[in-house]
Amino acid sequence: MSKKIYHILSLLLLTLLTASCCTVFADQEPKTFPFSETSALEEWEEKIFKGKVLYVVKVEKRDGYLSAYSQNSASGIFYRLKFDPKETPMISWKWKVLKFPEKKSKNIIDEKYDSKQSWLEKDDYAARLYVIFPKISFNLTKSLEYVWDASLPKGTILTSPYSENIKIIVAESGKKYFKKWIYEERNIVDDYEKAFGRAPGEVGAIAIMTDTDNTTSTAEASYDEIKVGYKK
Amino acid sequence: MKDKKNRRREKFLNSPFQKKMLLLIFIAAIVPSGIVTICLYYIIFNLLAAQLGIPEAIAYNLLPVARKVNIIILTTLPISLIIIWGIAVELSHRIAGPIFRLEKELDRVISGEQKTPLVLRKKDELKPLTEKINKIISKK
Repeated sequence: MSKKIYHILSLLLLTLLTASCCTVFADQEPKTFPFSETSALEEWEEKIFKGKVLYVVKVEKRDGYLSAYSQNSASGIFYRLKFDPKETPMISWKWKVLKFPEKKSKNIIDEKYDSKQSWLEKDDYAARLYVIFPKISFNLTKSLEYVWDASLPKGTILTSPYSENIKIIVAESGKKYFKKWIYEERNIVDDYEKAFGRAPGEVGAIAIMTDTDNTTSTAEASYDEIKVGYKK
Repeated sequence: MKDKKNRRREKFLNSPFQKKMLLLIFIAAIVPSGIVTICLYYIIFNLLAAQLGIPEAIAYNLLPVARKVNIIILTTLPISLIIIWGIAVELSHRIAGPIFRLEKELDRVISGEQKTPLVLRKKDELKPLTEKINKIISKK
């Protein structure tokens, strides 16, 4: 191989390495979603599961928040991002529940093994925030869901009735702070290890969903100041 | 009638050349089709999953479809392999058979046992080559 070709190839390789390093470091920066402008939802993708939930950014007194209103529907908003939670494991957000979905039974834990359908019917939450860990194949993708439920005890970890790869973590419980803003901060790595029993891979997306499709009721919640991928 | 009489009963000759040809044809058919199937499967399902986004939507809508597709693939795979193997045997036989026969008949021509022109089967390959060999034999 001539020296000239060798130099060109080395230069190309160096450029590629620099570019990939820049991308990695750029992605390692914490990402914040203040929802302070009505156009804030433009960078999010809407994903419809069953019917459309109304997601609107409401701006009041120079400050804004994301409002979600679900009526017999389940759709979420989805944001793709990439970071290594082992480097920057924290996620935080503020949320407020204005109306919980109407579940017939107060406690789903006791009933979940009795009837999958009965449990499925209760898989509605006023507010939930997803952290999604994509894998090479879609069926291996894992997700953590932080939910605010009216009756489940805080800290409960459940497996979704839909898939073993979806773990539901009750981050907030009850109606004590009903209609009040609550700040949450979680360590993704710790939660993932508790839920799946192993260390997580890269985070590929976060999502928000307020749903009432299973209970055919209505729910309303607000979200604000989401911050992902930072160290404490 | 003549072609029926000349038909080879055994599709698999004990010839290293046919074995090599058979393996080459089989691999040449299996590898690209396997790659295309895996790529299509991976691209289609991963694109659909990316489009659905919400994990519950993926688990509810896509996983049952993927399971059905997996069953179909696993059921049709042995059948496809048998068909491809059959085609590979037939093709390798059409190439290796005439060579095997030409070799034998040329040996008989060299030893002076045979002077009649060499005849191949209807579907055999290498007919132009046989014709040229026949021309050489008839010139002698």
